[in-house]
Amino acid sequence: MDKLMSDLKSQIIAQLNLQDTKPEDIGDDQPLFVEGLGLDSIDALELIVLLQQHYKIKLSNAEEGPKVFKTVRTMAEYITAHQAQNA
Amino acid sequence: MYIRATGNISPQKTFGHGPMDDSPVVYNGNRLTAIEPEYKDFIDPKLIRRMSRIIRMGVAAAMECLHEAAIKTPDAIVTGTAYGCLDDTHSFLSKMVQFNEELLTPTAFIQSTHNTIGAQIGLMLQCNNYNNAFVHRGFSFESALLDAMMLIKENDASNVLVGAIDEIINASHTILNRLGLYKQGNICNLDIYQSTSKGTIAGEGATFFLLAKEASNTDYAKLDGLHTFYKPANAAEVEQQVNNFLQKHHVNISEINLIITGKNGDVAGDKIYDTLSTSVLAGKQTINYKHLCGEYPTAATFAVWLAAHILKFKKLPAIISHQPSSQKNIKKVLVYNHYMGIHHSLYLLSAC
Repeated sequence: MDKLMSDLKSQIIAQLNLQDTKPEDIGDDQPLFVEGLGLDSIDALELIVLLQQHYKIKLSNAEEGPKVFKTVRTMAEYITAHQAQNA
Repeated sequence: MYIRATGNISPQKTFGHGPMDDSPVVYNGNRLTAIEPEYKDFIDPKLIRRMSRIIRMGVAAAMECLHEAAIKTPDAIVTGTAYGCLDDTHSFLSKMVQFNEELLTPTAFIQSTHNTIGAQIGLMLQCNNYNNAFVHRGFSFESALLDAMMLIKENDASNVLVGAIDEIINASHTILNRLGLYKQGNICNLDIYQSTSKGTIAGEGATFFLLAKEASNTDYAKLDGLHTFYKPANAAEVEQQVNNFLQKHHVNISEINLIITGKNGDVAGDKIYDTLSTSVLAGKQTINYKHLCGEYPTAATFAVWLAAHILKFKKLPAIISHQPSSQKNIKKVLVYNHYMGIHHSLYLLSAC
């Protein structure tokens, strides 16, 4: 899980072009939207693309979004659960 | 109407207080790249991350212009661009191919439209006033400026932020190079006018002007007129256009103190400038500017910016100091530019 969260932080920084942000600046349980990293709805779309590109996961239910993209940890948990389901 | 303020990001050190004391930046090769400022001083870092290079250039040039004019919300924002946000367009299209038309990221698509920069300026200023973008190839800036002038003349605006933006990226440079637009071999930008070969040097830039209806005591220049004409049949037609333009503005050629031409070192395209220098513009002090900014469809913005600075500071700036100058008291400037021999434009500016 730690490795996955570390990878995710780097991928989020690259995908969203978060200049001056390093992976260690993003807390595992830090909110990604509004407060915390301050991401917005366009970033949410970028994160959906990130999941598809890097983990082949298609977020089919939009209502899952706020829960999945709450923090880096919730994203990692979602990816892990999805991979276990498809193993 | 008056040019109250300017903002210019170009391949020269034009951002800030202008080029009056700087020597020209020398480039070897057929591509001139804009010298960019530290954007964090002008743009919120949170917004910068979504902006490609050309958007940053455009927004920063516009912000500097507004800052100089001490205007927070202009009555209108009008932009011109021929290429638009090329880098974002290239990124978006490349990803379409790379990911087989799936998994497309929204940011590049959103930012790839030609009105992105005007819209971004409007968003940053929270300005809901008139906002328009013109994409008319070599007439893009001229169309934007004409719109701005009409807004002011028809009393729809008392001040307008107007400018143009175009960038050159690796992909477009490669394509245009293949099409023969640029000179081959080792070429220095300062030597292009001595060249006897075809082609020119590529350039880019973001230039904005604050156009105001009323005069202030800090204006750069008065913008007296603008005229465009398309694909003239021959030199005689161009001469006629110049004469008609001056006549329309009740100006005799003897009153013009300085001509700024769009000569770009292309032996074919420069012929018309040489012809005019022996006919309708004979004997006039003439300077060129494309060795400074390169050639691009909205390069005439650089000429207007240069003319405005010359008229305000009443001297030829150091960046063109290698060109002979005899005229000290410059009160009227005529700019004649053409892009690819297709889009021709004339500007008339005078001292305030």
